[in-house]
Amino acid sequence: MKLREYEAKKVIREYGIPVPAGFLIRSADELPPHLAELGEKFVLKAQVDVGGRGKAGGILMADPSTAVATAGSLFKKEIKGLPVKEILAEQRLDIRHEYYLSITVDRSSKQPLILFTEEGGVDIEITAKEHPEAIRKLIANPLMQDIPPFLLRELVGTAPKEIGPIINKLYRVFLEKDALLAEINPLVTTPSGVYAADAKIIVDDNALGRQGISVNRDLTDREREAEKHGFSYVELNGAIGVIGNGAGLTMSTLDLIEFYGGKAANFLDVGGGAESERVMHAVRLVASVPTVKVIVVNLLGGITKCDEVAKGIIAAGISQKVIVRLAGTNEAEGRSMLSEKGYEMLDTMDLVVKKAVEVTA
Amino acid sequence: MIYGDKKTGILVQGATGKQGEFHIGLMNSYARLVGGRGVVAGVTPGKGGREVHGIPVYNTVREAMHGHDIGAAVIFVPAAAAADAIMEEAKAGIETIVCITEHIPVHDTMKAIAYARMEGASVIGPNCPGLLSPGEVKMGIMPAGLFTRGNVGVISRSGTLTYEVVDELTRAGIGQSTVVGIGGDPVIGQTFVDVLERFEKDSQTKAVVLIGEVGGNLEEEGAKSTRLPIVSYIAGISAPPDKRMGHAGAIVEGGEGDARSKIARLKKLGVPVASRPSEIPDMVRQLFRSSC
Repeated sequence: MKLREYEAKKVIREYGIPVPAGFLIRSADELPPHLAELGEKFVLKAQVDVGGRGKAGGILMADPSTAVATAGSLFKKEIKGLPVKEILAEQRLDIRHEYYLSITVDRSSKQPLILFTEEGGVDIEITAKEHPEAIRKLIANPLMQDIPPFLLRELVGTAPKEIGPIINKLYRVFLEKDALLAEINPLVTTPSGVYAADAKIIVDDNALGRQGISVNRDLTDREREAEKHGFSYVELNGAIGVIGNGAGLTMSTLDLIEFYGGKAANFLDVGGGAESERVMHAVRLVASVPTVKVIVVNLLGGITKCDEVAKGIIAAGISQKVIVRLAGTNEAEGRSMLSEKGYEMLDTMDLVVKKAVEVTA
Repeated sequence: MIYGDKKTGILVQGATGKQGEFHIGLMNSYARLVGGRGVVAGVTPGKGGREVHGIPVYNTVREAMHGHDIGAAVIFVPAAAAADAIMEEAKAGIETIVCITEHIPVHDTMKAIAYARMEGASVIGPNCPGLLSPGEVKMGIMPAGLFTRGNVGVISRSGTLTYEVVDELTRAGIGQSTVVGIGGDPVIGQTFVDVLERFEKDSQTKAVVLIGEVGGNLEEEGAKSTRLPIVSYIAGISAPPDKRMGHAGAIVEGGEGDARSKIARLKKLGVPVASRPSEIPDMVRQLFRSSC
């Protein structure tokens, strides 16, 4: 789950990384008490869970005389379709130079990867393409809690040496907060020292519990409902509902829908050993999506009991057409139960998907 | 075979749990069928002295190692205990560690894999179905009925999609040497590169089917590393960016790891890529025809 800017800044400040003075407000009236501390020039930054908010008008300059009105207008805006409920009012820094610093999980080395460049503030992907030599990289040993000083010196190079300890502090944040990404872009030098002008932290969804995060904000309501039943669910916007077991097989079913010219409404991985009740919940959940005209069920596996699956589909009692591909134990029983009730069963995933695309065409 | 054969004794960590007990039963019925040793010991802390399907259960891996010749372990413990289980097995000297458990925090996985590497152990998974060498050994949860012995290796980040492909291969009369599910997490122990290296040394394996998905670039790294003929399939061509498709590792982030660019890079390396699973058997046949 992605932390909002003010949350990420609070975390890194606790680890001793300097951040600009800032205050979170939930309405324009909350701004006046902070004006004295914010000084002559400051910024109002909408705290919305979406990238590219600056270009979408989510970051505005302000001064004490106009700030309340500016904040009021920002609260009325929508940034990429999302309402603005929180604004971070933050001191403007006198920036001399911008750097880029990030720590991610590197799949190839299976270890943390630290990136530092002397050209910050811009998109790291652009730097990577245009000036790959400007990016300094370090693979860290996850069994060590600190980066050895000699490695920090190598990373920092000719940049101000105060940055070394900041990198180590961000590494501690990365380890202790179960981060998939900890990024400061830009990290800036000012006459009064080095500051994190922006901060981004993504927390591992598998570690939300031990990080004390009870609700995953990155999920939609229906995705959260699915999570309660133990399903992996992603909302798309086509007419063909999909229920599969296993992430790869379900993804492959979606791809096949695209291959045959259809559009999938969702991704739903019902998980292993699906019993009738789970299948029923899955079918009802997918059927509740307004765009769904037909549902493809594609279940395969040694321990999936086809009669249980059939029971679940029948118990769901939905109005849309359900087309089923089932392979596993008790296949004959499952088949006869479904065909008795008039459901269509086909032998391969190619056939069920083709049929569903025909139905929605 | 790679990672193990009939003679490999297997330890199951989390032996007294529902999953552990169920799969000890299935692994050992496969072992009986092929005349292998199968699971010889179980471990569950605090449950030492019990038996599961006639297999003795110990409190620690070290205790189990005293009385048995063990070459591999399969882990069924909950996510919070899985990294510890990997490290315990590595420290006790087990060479191949298969971790079935899913939802392990990635920082735990990174630490456990770094530790296992130090101890000289190979970790398969986490979040994987394990491996199966038809006629030799099954370590994990793959449905053995779909498999048949032959000379095509299969490596996959997925579970059921692997069964789908194996089923297609078997129906087409193409047998498998070893099928390895390497796991759906962003950080996994054995990657395509590692398994391909083993397949190269395995005289039984003549070609490999590589089943990948969106996220990262481990598939391309694998294809680049080997001289073996490969057929590939990549799931997730319709996956939207920044959405996790079930597997923690199946996500297109920052415009990286999307299926289309992955497929393009594989094709550039000369690897034929199937556009759907049902095309794979024909493409494998094609491979054999052109390499003979």
